[in-house]
Amino acid sequence: MLAVDVVKRGGERPSESFERIKLERSIRAALLSVRTPDGQAEDTARRVTDIVEQWLAEHSEVTSYDIRLRASGALEQLHPDAAYLYKHHKVIM
Amino acid sequence: MNTLTLLATIGLAALIHASFQLSVSMLTILSGHALGSKTSHKRTISLASSFTLGAMAMTILLLSFGAYLAANLFGSSIRPLVWAVVCGLMLGIGLAVWVFYYRRTHGTSLWIPRSMARFLMDRSKATKHSAEAFSLGLTSVAGEILFIIAPLAASALCLVLLPAPYQIAGILIYTVIASLPLFIVVLLVGGGHSLSHIQRWREDNRRFLQFIAGSALFVLGFFLYVNAVVAPSIIARGVTL
Repeated sequence: MLAVDVVKRGGERPSESFERIKLERSIRAALLSVRTPDGQAEDTARRVTDIVEQWLAEHSEVTSYDIRLRASGALEQLHPDAAYLYKHHKVIM
Repeated sequence: MNTLTLLATIGLAALIHASFQLSVSMLTILSGHALGSKTSHKRTISLASSFTLGAMAMTILLLSFGAYLAANLFGSSIRPLVWAVVCGLMLGIGLAVWVFYYRRTHGTSLWIPRSMARFLMDRSKATKHSAEAFSLGLTSVAGEILFIIAPLAASALCLVLLPAPYQIAGILIYTVIASLPLFIVVLLVGGGHSLSHIQRWREDNRRFLQFIAGSALFVLGFFLYVNAVVAPSIIARGVTL
């Protein structure tokens, strides 16, 4: 596991360590929301998380917004539809 | 106003109600989260349908309550002053829709306070049972009462003026038209369409919907003012055109 502190959005909640599984799960959920087949969703989520982890390796502290931005950027290349939903899910309502 | 005009007025008021987006936003989040957590297709449709039924139930309740209140307070002949108040409400809310129905950010962020939006979003995501989805549907309509009160009030007054058998028809017309966007989302989700396409369409057309909703409130307010406030006073004074 990477030793990276994640500062939560708005600083309202305490920082926490980066957890790969949480990021992978959220990306997979976005992929499944746009009806991506299970296997492809697993594979794409893993690849996107790998890309984010490579970027995280160069940092000791990031915000959750930074992670979301990096992940949606990487997802955009692999699955634009899911990337759109992943990026915008907080501004639907 | 004759029966046809009253029913048409109810229809237009329902279209205005339909252009408000809180229920659609919540249904989009509910469906998206159900799909994202590998809920079966049948279960997802069941949740979305329960949500829609809840929204319809609250619409019927609010409209019936409004009509009941109007009938008890004003009887079957509604004074021009009451119509004038409702018309003023429509113009005021029309302006409010134009100015701040959507937030000035990207996406389809609505006017509702962010803490309330977060709560509704969390509830939508946590919904697992049809009963929860139903109550969420009820909440989605009640949560937008500040805006839907104008078309609801106008429709309630029109209902009071309708002959009894048409009152039920009026309530049904209003409810079905006001819930049309929800039916469409349920059908699209059921038909396998991508939620991102639905959300993209909503985002691309949000300014248009906002403009249409505000303008329609102005048009309906003006129409009712002329028909229910100005015309009766002209007739009462015996002025012929």
